[in-house]
Amino acid sequence: MNVLGLTFEKREQSSRLWQLLMVLLAIIFALVLSGLLIFLSGADVGKAFAGLYGGAFGTRKALIETLVKATPLILTGLAAVIAFRGKVMNIGAEGQFLAGAMAGYWAILTFSWMSPFFYFSMILFFAFIGGAICGLIPGLLKGLLKVDETIVTVMMNYVVEFVLSFLLSGPWQAAGKFYKFSEEIPTSAHYGLVFPNTRLHYGFIVALVTTIIVYWILQKTRLGYEIRSIGLNPAASKFKGINVPRTIITIMLISGGIAGLGGIGEVIGIQHRMRMDISNGAGFTGIIIAMLAGLNPLAVVIVAIFMGGLLNGSNRMQIFSNVPTALVYAMQAIVLLSLLAFQVLAKYRIRRAAGNE
Amino acid sequence: MESSTPLLQTIKLTKHFGGVIANKDVSFDIKPGEIHCLLGENGAGKTTLAECLYGYYYPDGGEIWFKQERVNIASPHDAIKLGIGMVHQHFILVRPLSVIENIIVGTDAAQLFLNLSTASKKVEQLCRDYDISLDLSAKIWQLSVGEQQWVEILKALFVGIKLLILDEPTAVLTPQEAEKLFVILRKMKASGLSILFITHKLHEVLEVSDRVTVLRKGEKVATVFTPDVDRAELAKMMVGREVFFRVNKETLQPGDPVLEVINLRAKNDRGQESLCGISMNIRAGEIVGIAGISGNGQKDLFESIVGVKPVHSGNIRFSGQDITNKPVHAIASLGMAHIPEDRLKEGLVPEFSVAENLMLGLHKHRFFKIWGGLVDAKEVKTFADTCIKDFDIVTPSSGHTTRNLSGGNIQKVIIARELSGHPKCLVANQPTRGLDVGAIEYVHTQLLNQCKAGTAILIISDDLDEIMNLADRILVIFKGRIVGELDPQTASRQEIGLLMAGCVDGEQL
Repeated sequence: MNVLGLTFEKREQSSRLWQLLMVLLAIIFALVLSGLLIFLSGADVGKAFAGLYGGAFGTRKALIETLVKATPLILTGLAAVIAFRGKVMNIGAEGQFLAGAMAGYWAILTFSWMSPFFYFSMILFFAFIGGAICGLIPGLLKGLLKVDETIVTVMMNYVVEFVLSFLLSGPWQAAGKFYKFSEEIPTSAHYGLVFPNTRLHYGFIVALVTTIIVYWILQKTRLGYEIRSIGLNPAASKFKGINVPRTIITIMLISGGIAGLGGIGEVIGIQHRMRMDISNGAGFTGIIIAMLAGLNPLAVVIVAIFMGGLLNGSNRMQIFSNVPTALVYAMQAIVLLSLLAFQVLAKYRIRRAAGNE
Repeated sequence: MESSTPLLQTIKLTKHFGGVIANKDVSFDIKPGEIHCLLGENGAGKTTLAECLYGYYYPDGGEIWFKQERVNIASPHDAIKLGIGMVHQHFILVRPLSVIENIIVGTDAAQLFLNLSTASKKVEQLCRDYDISLDLSAKIWQLSVGEQQWVEILKALFVGIKLLILDEPTAVLTPQEAEKLFVILRKMKASGLSILFITHKLHEVLEVSDRVTVLRKGEKVATVFTPDVDRAELAKMMVGREVFFRVNKETLQPGDPVLEVINLRAKNDRGQESLCGISMNIRAGEIVGIAGISGNGQKDLFESIVGVKPVHSGNIRFSGQDITNKPVHAIASLGMAHIPEDRLKEGLVPEFSVAENLMLGLHKHRFFKIWGGLVDAKEVKTFADTCIKDFDIVTPSSGHTTRNLSGGNIQKVIIARELSGHPKCLVANQPTRGLDVGAIEYVHTQLLNQCKAGTAILIISDDLDEIMNLADRILVIFKGRIVGELDPQTASRQEIGLLMAGCVDGEQL
């Protein structure tokens, strides 16, 4: 393949170490580019990065707050990992996140008479089911009718957002309030705290446990074997009798359900009420995280904490250097783009095209 | 001819891909007006060498001389300018366009305004010169594969070339069509054209070439004058050891029919009928071979039997049960094994480990404990190690990624998986495509042993020699119909070839 005077040759095999190196290089490259952005905006690059780092990992308090920010990202990242492993392009974690939050909120209103253990079980169960149903629709369309799941999941995001908007400006709106949010939920429905006087709630533990479960499903179960098989080679899977449509539908159920768990976590762990802005784009950031993690569920935790750190550190960065917090979204995008660019290096050997010697 | 100066010469041409050497220090030359064969097994580096000459790849080392000048061929465009044309294994034609339109694409005749009449005259002249009969206004999709090859050749001749490279041109032809190609190649040679003919079939080398260069594992073994060598010598040069051409096949007494296909009809992806009422049966302990030019419904027949493709009408009965349109795993669990034509796309998951591939499909019934949900790692490993030992799979370990094995060993993984369960019936589509001689011998031996053990075997293959060597009965498929049944002991290649072209009792179907 010749492009712009360069020859691309596919590498026979790219080692795991080489791939890891590419991720690191991509992050360094992205930091340099972001530094350039900060420099161009006229701010002090050193101060900005110091602020970002300090705000993210500088103190125990900052670190814990970073974990708070990472919690929903771990779950949406896992949702993307399990889907992408089966080559199901679920871009709808954002909608599934909100759908899970809504179904969980309904459970909060409905089952408050139960004993705490069953109450929490019902809330989490319905949150999972809410996200799963939201994933089921594109899953059925893809599995049974071969409708492209990328488009359906993206469009579902808007549908879910409008449903939530309707609920929060009518049936669920807090009495006498102008804003689109609900009444506060009863304290019996709050997640407990991992450390007192912080915001780190049990949702973080739920995210870690889910990570282990996803890893275990993918590596140790028949379902995971079939998911990996259809993801890597759907044709051979079909020839060997794996029910591809059924596996795709299962993938979408699980993926949506996990995103839904992330959604309810923000309601019962942080906001303590239903709001429009509980996700903050977690569904989309999850996709970036899954890609950066190389679709490895364990690596998702590390990458999510890195991304959470960027979000958390951005406030301090703004205070110290006047760089707006919105820059971290640009940084996230730059990290992904440079990773995709560096993956070309991992997959291809690039040389100057044969010219005159 | 010995004295004439070469038209094209390579000196120590070297090309590698990553760490894999495709060509190493290959020096050879092509004289004006000769047919030069490039002979080698699959993976010997024949195509890579040709692609270097055609500018598709750029060599990592060595020199190419053309008409006694050192040349630098950086793209096919450069090659065509020099006068080198190539016909690839897979044709590059625009199917909805006419023959003449395809021929002038990318040439000077296709400027802002098409100059069809002058171009047509030139092509008609070429057709007359070489005795090619072709309707220039026909659309490509209306032509047979053999005719499409003429278009590719005319395309190369149209721009006025000195050297024509043909990459495995007979792979898609019937014996008769190949015969006709050879006649025309000789005419081209007589008119002063040089031809580089790439093949791995020995009889073609002996029939058509003046000289032959043998490649093995990317290196040149020798260049010899064709009249000076015989089949056995060429085979020895190509493989590096003595080769036995005939497998030792015992005649067995076949048992009861295991697989019965009754008036089977199916449609292809475009909704056209691709199987038009196929009926046949395969008995225990016999090998039935389906011969035919590729694209006559073989793939759909294979997929219908194993359950991947929906059947439109008709029945498939397997060991007494109706398996028509049953799911793949249900058919497999009755004892049906299969080897699909494309190893890496349909046969296994290349990124999986050898062990994971060995359990693919079988995983429905074993390797998982606790309601069949949890991997039984010990069982998986034991099974994989047994397969690796029994089927002689060369791999560093059962955890090794399958893609990194050689083609022959990848096929062994599939064969091990399919045969380890002692199936009642095995359906194999192109079981040796792209394999080297050693691996082909291995596959054939395994198939014969399995037949001896009482398995009913159906082999679908484009390679007529393979079918004639292995089968107890040959069925010929043409346009989705079985047009004849022959006994390999008595049938001639010519007889089968006519049927493959749809000629039954002297009439064209």
